[in-house]
Amino acid sequence: MKHSWHISRRAALKGLGTALVLPLLDSMLPATAFSPFARALQAAETARQLPNRAAFVYVPNGMHMPDWTPSQVGAGFDLPPILATLSPVKDDFMVITGLAQDGGRAHGDGGGDHARAMASFLTGTHPKKTHGADIRAGVSADQVAAEKVGRLTRFASLELGCDAGAQSGNCDTGYSCAYSSNAAWRTESQPVAKEVNPRLVFERLFTDGPPGETKEAKARRERYRLSVLDFVQEDAASLKRRLGANDQRKLDEYLTSVRELEARIARSEKSPGEGPVGLPKPAGVPEDYAEHIRLMYDLMALAFQSDLTRVVTFVHANEGSNRSYPFIGVSDGHHDLSHHAGDAEKQAKISKINQFHASHLARFLQKLKETPEGDGNLLDHSMIAFGSAIGDGNRHNHDDLPIMLAGRGCGTLKPGRHIRYERETPLNNLWLSMLDRLGAHVDRLGDGKGTLSELNA
Amino acid sequence: MVHRLGLLLCAVCLAGMAPRAAAGQPAGGKPEAAFREQVKPFLARYCNDCHGGAEPEKNLALDKLPDADNRDTWTRVHKYLHGRIMPPKDAAQPTAEEFRAVLASIEAHLSGSDCGLARNPGRVTIRRLNRTEYDNTIRDLVGVDFHPSDDFPSDDIGYGFDQIGDVLSMPPILLEKYLAAADQVVDRAIYVHTPEKTPRQTFPANKVQHEGGNDGANCWQLASSGSVFTEVELPASGEYILRGKAFATQAGNELAKMAFKLDDEQVHVADVAAEPGAAEVYETKLRIKPGKHRFMLAFINDFYDPQNPDPKRRDRNLSIEYLEVQGPLHAPPPELPESHKKIVFCELKKGELHECAEKILGRFASRAFRRPATAQEVERLVKFVDLARANGESFERGIQLALEAVLVSPNFLFRVEQDPEPSAGGAQAAHEINEYELATRLSYFLYSSMPDDGLFHDAHKGRLRQNLDKHVSRMLKDPKCRALVDNFATQWLEIRRLQNVTPDSKLFPGFDDELRQAMLEETKRFIAAVVEEDRSVLDLLDADFTFLNERLARHYRIEGVTGPEFRRVKLDDPDRGGLVTHASVLTATSNPTRTSPVKRGKWILEVLLDMPPPPPPPNAGDLKDEGQVAASGSLRQRMEQHRANPSCASCHVLMDSLGFGLENFDAVGAWRDRDGAFAIDASGELPDGSSFKGPRELKAILKQKKDEFVRCLSAKMLTYALGRGLEAYDRCAVDEISATVAQDGYKFSALIRAIVLSDPFQKRGSR
Repeated sequence: MKHSWHISRRAALKGLGTALVLPLLDSMLPATAFSPFARALQAAETARQLPNRAAFVYVPNGMHMPDWTPSQVGAGFDLPPILATLSPVKDDFMVITGLAQDGGRAHGDGGGDHARAMASFLTGTHPKKTHGADIRAGVSADQVAAEKVGRLTRFASLELGCDAGAQSGNCDTGYSCAYSSNAAWRTESQPVAKEVNPRLVFERLFTDGPPGETKEAKARRERYRLSVLDFVQEDAASLKRRLGANDQRKLDEYLTSVRELEARIARSEKSPGEGPVGLPKPAGVPEDYAEHIRLMYDLMALAFQSDLTRVVTFVHANEGSNRSYPFIGVSDGHHDLSHHAGDAEKQAKISKINQFHASHLARFLQKLKETPEGDGNLLDHSMIAFGSAIGDGNRHNHDDLPIMLAGRGCGTLKPGRHIRYERETPLNNLWLSMLDRLGAHVDRLGDGKGTLSELNA
Repeated sequence: MVHRLGLLLCAVCLAGMAPRAAAGQPAGGKPEAAFREQVKPFLARYCNDCHGGAEPEKNLALDKLPDADNRDTWTRVHKYLHGRIMPPKDAAQPTAEEFRAVLASIEAHLSGSDCGLARNPGRVTIRRLNRTEYDNTIRDLVGVDFHPSDDFPSDDIGYGFDQIGDVLSMPPILLEKYLAAADQVVDRAIYVHTPEKTPRQTFPANKVQHEGGNDGANCWQLASSGSVFTEVELPASGEYILRGKAFATQAGNELAKMAFKLDDEQVHVADVAAEPGAAEVYETKLRIKPGKHRFMLAFINDFYDPQNPDPKRRDRNLSIEYLEVQGPLHAPPPELPESHKKIVFCELKKGELHECAEKILGRFASRAFRRPATAQEVERLVKFVDLARANGESFERGIQLALEAVLVSPNFLFRVEQDPEPSAGGAQAAHEINEYELATRLSYFLYSSMPDDGLFHDAHKGRLRQNLDKHVSRMLKDPKCRALVDNFATQWLEIRRLQNVTPDSKLFPGFDDELRQAMLEETKRFIAAVVEEDRSVLDLLDADFTFLNERLARHYRIEGVTGPEFRRVKLDDPDRGGLVTHASVLTATSNPTRTSPVKRGKWILEVLLDMPPPPPPPNAGDLKDEGQVAASGSLRQRMEQHRANPSCASCHVLMDSLGFGLENFDAVGAWRDRDGAFAIDASGELPDGSSFKGPRELKAILKQKKDEFVRCLSAKMLTYALGRGLEAYDRCAVDEISATVAQDGYKFSALIRAIVLSDPFQKRGSR
């Protein structure tokens, strides 16, 4: 008999289980300890086991800035029309003005601001101009977080959106469509595809095996699955040795994914084991865009509530989207409109679209706020960043960006204010600040080298 | 010189193919120095003012004469001169003869220099199967067709296509989906008998007949002797399990007894120890004949002891929740799926299971990996059978697991091409790919799927190359070739985006999803006709036929077409016919509320002529400094005013003119003579001075540019066939392919053959 193979697999698994959980918890400690928020986080974590979470939400084609930027700074800030939809949660978010995403700029590469905006938003890098060969941006903030704290939850991170990648053609002059549809980048060359079907998100989050599966059957299924992963990992390793450099990089992506899945299976005991309350399983991608956005936000809220993940990206629509919004009286394409050339009518329509997106954010924030957790609520223990890496869609500027941050980050944020930073302050400094508050400190990220002061004071 | 700066900024992005050149030019070409001397006077006279000196526009220093082998630069220079985009209109203009001479020199230089023997065939990055290829491959490999990839994330696009090796990535979520899909695929393909699959009939006890007792919500309570019973119909003779789920309260010195009776004969008695709230299942197994039977559960030892000091030990009662019959056990499965019979093809005899597993898995893995599986690979796969059996499961379950491993293996998910001497450092020459790899390239090119038996067979015998022509002819007749339409053509023509367009329902009330699908179908059938009938590819530019159903015919105002089925329709109106007049294209290149001559012009340049216009200069579209455009003018007037800005004019003159030629088609492709208050003016003038009016004359101009079109189509299809972007060194191959197509009367099959026989398709470069 040739049992040795699967027995060794079992033995390895035994090791794997412990190896995966304990040292990772250890590796959490230094980051937390160095973090300036160590005490607040530890207090939250140890006393009540309340985690901090981060969501990064993207809207395309910039914003109608006059309807976004409050004229007053500080606590008594005003709410221009786009932000007015958020008035019920005014004390729970801060508007952050003056940030720039320099990587989105041309730097000699000509057109393609939309592609660069999306690819630079969370990476803070200048994406390489290519139709396909050598796609390069940088690691995104959410993926840094996933890498550092993702092992504490069943899913390291979720990448959600309402638009799948482009169907055909070029998305933005000279840039592969991978740039304008992906905010999350696992490595500088590997964007992370979004899940756009609410049904699939739901199943992924809340279904674990067939209904009524016994404990033994589940254990056996996972054992088999690990054996399959073991097999293919060996295949990949031996294949990789025989390939050239470009091919090897693809195999590396594959191997990383295999290891991630293995770890997920080892973590599956962290699964809450029961379906969510109050959200029936969605049927698929709704025809109605508003419903689609709503469902995605609901799923995000549930994922946070059940602590299935602590890191989410959500892209309302791909950058450069030419979607029309007839249900709010805007039949023109969003991107066409964004080239408004100063036309007041077009600007009013853009503002309407912006308000539509903001109103869904508002609903989401309220939902988090209405969900009690510990002695507070879910929003108290979250950081929700929302914005775009284009300011005015007509100018395609990448400074003075429309950015806001909601939630209290387990007491590490002091919302209810409008903060104005010096022009050209890197947007990535905000991401670094959020990473610290997640216990995922890194010294630099893209063009970000420091954190933003004043977020908690 | 704002406008030149803008243009030249654009010029950098004009990547891509070199201009058309006379094919068959003798190799070697003119000596570099001679070439440079030839073009020098022209450049000095017309170009160097801006592209020279200390700060040449966009760093293009033509006064320093770029090296003759700087192909990118000379290609760019040629493209701009050829398109009459440079020199700008407000600068001194060369004569027609000067243009001709300088273009001829550059062409001769570009085509002459390196189309010799030592060409670089390029090297494609390992390609993951995209979603379509995955579904098709599963269909052809396993024999189950259910589109598992519907649940996969979308594949990213590069160079206009979704099967570019460099762009297709493998994030964890995708691997997760591959695992889930593999699970479903093997579950459908291979029948595994498990107890759960044995049919069972379950009867809630309070819903059947009773003798004594009373209803206890979700059970039947028997406080004194009594029974619950029901009639069951059993399909076949065999072993069955009779079950009862029950609990009891106890009294006296024995447990409550539940008798199992079949047709009034007692076959088993169970002692029911389960307590209220924790019912347990009791069962017995026996052979039963088919037909109707009476199955009864009876309480047979009622006991009452009111004096017992423990109030819980005074009354013995039995409560039954349900009765169940499961079986027949070990019955042969009703009918094995075809896929099962095909995959598990050897007989399962005791003592030969290992050999059988080797045969099954060796064959399956070889087809899945598109090359013979190695003995080690097979041996490792066979261990899954051992694993299943060690876990008390069947041989078939083990086969399922092994298949699952194959379907998630990188050898299956990626199309692997290997260098003959993998470890040799550096100096490898380009080589012919092996015949398995060639079979794979060919079948994914034409079928978007794995090689069929014919290809495998000849690759195995090592005679695929020698029979290549025969295979191509055979495959072009196979219905699977429709993949060229569904995958190549819809992406090339950018009409997949039709699925996402949202024409304004107030302005275009006739547009709905049915019309959308009809538009798509017209174009697909039209291209399929070109493929199937081996027509001239020039028919794509203009044709006197198309495919319509009633809905679309009404949209086109063509009479005599009734019913939802599509059929071939002869077109009498020379303004309709050819791709540029298809509603699919016209709608996909419009804005939701109006036509976009710019987008249509750009589409013609990019998709049909491979002359992508350069991107707009920064801040384009911002007309603030030039005074407001009269919002009241016609679209044409407004756009002409836009073009008054010289930084826009050079490119827009070409794009807009082409687009305006299609203005008689509204934003959903219906014919119109007026746009609101304005009569349609569908005339245009091209930079080379030629002018035209309306779709039919525009098509005539496109047909004059047939060489550019064929070159464009060849380049796009080669990109698709290779799964990589084209590089400068591919120019010779594209030249030869387009020349061959022209020689063979522009037949579609000539294009396919020329691509298949080209170096980039047959070989793999070193690196």
